[in-house]
Amino acid sequence: MKRFRRQFFIGTVALLVATAAALWAHRRWHHALPDYAYLSGWVLFVALFVLTFFNARKKLSFLPLGKAETWLQIHIYLGFFTVVLFLIHLNFRLPHGGFELTLAWLFTLVSASGVAGLFFSRTLPVRLASRGGEVLFEKIPALRQTLRTAAETLAFDAPTPFIAEFYTQRLAPFFAGPKNGWRHFFESRRPLNALMAELEDLRRFANAAEQEKIEKLAALVRQKDGLDYHRSLQLALKQWLFVHIPLTYGLVVFTLAHLVLVFGFSGGAR
Amino acid sequence: MAAAPTILERPQRWDAAFDADMADADVDRLLATAPFSTMEAEKFPKRTPLRDILRNDTRILKFRKGEIIVRQGDYGTSAFLILKGAARIVLKPDLAPALLGRQAPGKKGIFRTLAQLWNGTRPPETFSRLQLQQAAGLGARQTKTDVRVFLQDLPRVLSEHRTDTMTSGDLFGEIGALSRMPRAATIFADTDDAELLEIRWQGLRDLMKYSDGLRTHVNKIYRERALASYLRATPMFQHLTKEQLDRVAEQVEFATYGDYDWSGEYKRLAQAGTVRPEKEPVIVQEGDYPNGIVLLRAGFARLSQKFGGGERTLNYIGAGHHYGLRELAHNWRHPEAPVNFKFSVRAIGYTHLLIVPTRAMEEIVLPSLPKDELPAPLELAPDESEEAPAAAGVRENVGAEVLEFLTENRFFNGTASMVIDLDRCTRCDDCVRACAATHDNNPRFLRHGPTTGSLMVANACMHCADPVCMIGCPTGAIHRESFAGQVVINPDTCIGCKACFNNCPYDAIRMVEIRDTNGEFMVDQEMKPIAKATKCDLCVESYGGPSCERACPHGALSRLNLNNLDALAKWLKL
Repeated sequence: MKRFRRQFFIGTVALLVATAAALWAHRRWHHALPDYAYLSGWVLFVALFVLTFFNARKKLSFLPLGKAETWLQIHIYLGFFTVVLFLIHLNFRLPHGGFELTLAWLFTLVSASGVAGLFFSRTLPVRLASRGGEVLFEKIPALRQTLRTAAETLAFDAPTPFIAEFYTQRLAPFFAGPKNGWRHFFESRRPLNALMAELEDLRRFANAAEQEKIEKLAALVRQKDGLDYHRSLQLALKQWLFVHIPLTYGLVVFTLAHLVLVFGFSGGAR
Repeated sequence: MAAAPTILERPQRWDAAFDADMADADVDRLLATAPFSTMEAEKFPKRTPLRDILRNDTRILKFRKGEIIVRQGDYGTSAFLILKGAARIVLKPDLAPALLGRQAPGKKGIFRTLAQLWNGTRPPETFSRLQLQQAAGLGARQTKTDVRVFLQDLPRVLSEHRTDTMTSGDLFGEIGALSRMPRAATIFADTDDAELLEIRWQGLRDLMKYSDGLRTHVNKIYRERALASYLRATPMFQHLTKEQLDRVAEQVEFATYGDYDWSGEYKRLAQAGTVRPEKEPVIVQEGDYPNGIVLLRAGFARLSQKFGGGERTLNYIGAGHHYGLRELAHNWRHPEAPVNFKFSVRAIGYTHLLIVPTRAMEEIVLPSLPKDELPAPLELAPDESEEAPAAAGVRENVGAEVLEFLTENRFFNGTASMVIDLDRCTRCDDCVRACAATHDNNPRFLRHGPTTGSLMVANACMHCADPVCMIGCPTGAIHRESFAGQVVINPDTCIGCKACFNNCPYDAIRMVEIRDTNGEFMVDQEMKPIAKATKCDLCVESYGGPSCERACPHGALSRLNLNNLDALAKWLKL
């Protein structure tokens, strides 16, 4: 995709140039300018403000505020640049004091969750598309219930009890709810393979009609596994925002408090 | 033991008559009326006699003065013959959209745009009583079978618009019905006792086939009103003088292929999983002698080539495209080594086309074309399995699998299809939320749909080139926006009849139950909920284009014209 490569190239070059310029300016002025800490703080604050406005852009989607894609590109590269600004504002030292430490931790966690989100956004969709069986997240419980009902009908309709017994012991918990979320996230097929091996073992005791039922059960197990896979990855794509956004609110509150404290108690300190 | 087959009487064409109440006396009366009285009944085949065509493919309608018979811009499947009374055609200027039951074109103002900030919290599909009152100047009357919309201030309409009268014996709507083009003008009843015969397209087609007089009459009208301007606008004929163009027009033949009601048939076939190119009507057969070029005037056709035991799709062509020029030009330049048609052309759904015979092409059109506009010559030792460079290019650019997928699902019909790249889509639903925010809290599409590889065509209105949803709307609520041509529904005049909902082959229209400003569902006198049709309107009233596309942070969603594969190829390569 040429467009995305172009975006990556422009963004990276802009980030490198801006970082180099910021480091040069820091080296040049951090001793020379008397209000340097204020200047770097305000620049950082403006950058944070622009970053948080991306969420507002999402809420005001009916207004012609430009494409969200452009906003996200700005958000990503400005986000990385803000880390540089943050380090410059700290003068590359560790913060001290409970308040500043909390503020620094919040910034770190927001940045880290943003990077994680970016990683998820770029890798998980490809995995979902490769796996196939596209499904809406909200429909997963209903589809799971359909699979469960179909599996129960097959298992308890069997003329011999061993399939029903196997279902009760091994498959009922599997069909009851989402399973193997973390395993799916890390692309592990072990749970599925184990279950399929057990189903394969069951075939030894089955006649032709029961073999057919086991085959159908195995197909349902594979479908359910596919649903779990989609649930796991789609959940990850949604949940990182539940870390990133609340922490951002916390960061904004602490940043504003930091501003008040600086201006309220600095007493003209430089 | 195999189960016994279900035995049914084979369905016949006239199992469902256009009007079940059509009586023998009505048919006798029609047979005594021109032009049917002048038709030779013995020329009609035994399976489709004139009498049965009139009984099953026509219906008699009565209109009161001011009631609209056809609206400009609507799509219709019938022609009308005035039996009694008079009708009036609006010539210039066109009637205002509001008078036709449509919404006035235009963007939301700044206050309506900002109001969405707080409107987003109210229940979806909220209407005020005032909003649901009929648009000013437009009234409606419920008849036994359908709803008639009438112009309330008729004197004003007559004083402000140039009109012309049509009387008993006049036929109109036949070009729109046969060529599936939008109605060219609005026509309304001019007398209280206007009686019209509505002839559905199947009947009109057969009447023309077996009645020389009607065929000549319709062809003459077609040539006079539509053909000359169409040929003039086609680049291939632009180097011709008026006299040469007239000579070409005289030799042009018209043809229709496929099923006019293809959407219903397609839905059935798609559900049964039996959409196969081999079952589509052949317009041009691969390997046949090129006896002319085909120009598609309406509908779509599949360009295919024999491959193994079946056919593989190379491209699809829509209105304005042509096929056969390459072969004809080759044979004209190299008569010593003639080639046959390299591909087959098959009608997908319904196709209306013009055929310019080889003789007219060789004598008039090809000599007029500058050398650089003539297609490249074919290989003199033709390998019949060779693909034309253009066709091969399309397959290469979008991929054979995608091409088959788009064709099988009839997605080429969409001029603004919602295409999603699943490799980029994070399933965040920002597009759905943006749509809801723009449309008073109700999203107008489903972020789900058929997929091939990582490409999904979502369940959103595609704003079709051939909008079958627009056929049969009794109030004109569903219409093309006059400026950019988006297919939109005016909620104020939608009566919830489900005609568009049932017609849409892509299930892109939804019926929603509406609420009052208190959030309660609105009901009729029988306490049944009032429903209205809704669908994507491409944010026609908003600034900046479709909000779904603008809202996608990952550039995974685009509204593309699949009518032309260049846009898709470009997007896939972005």
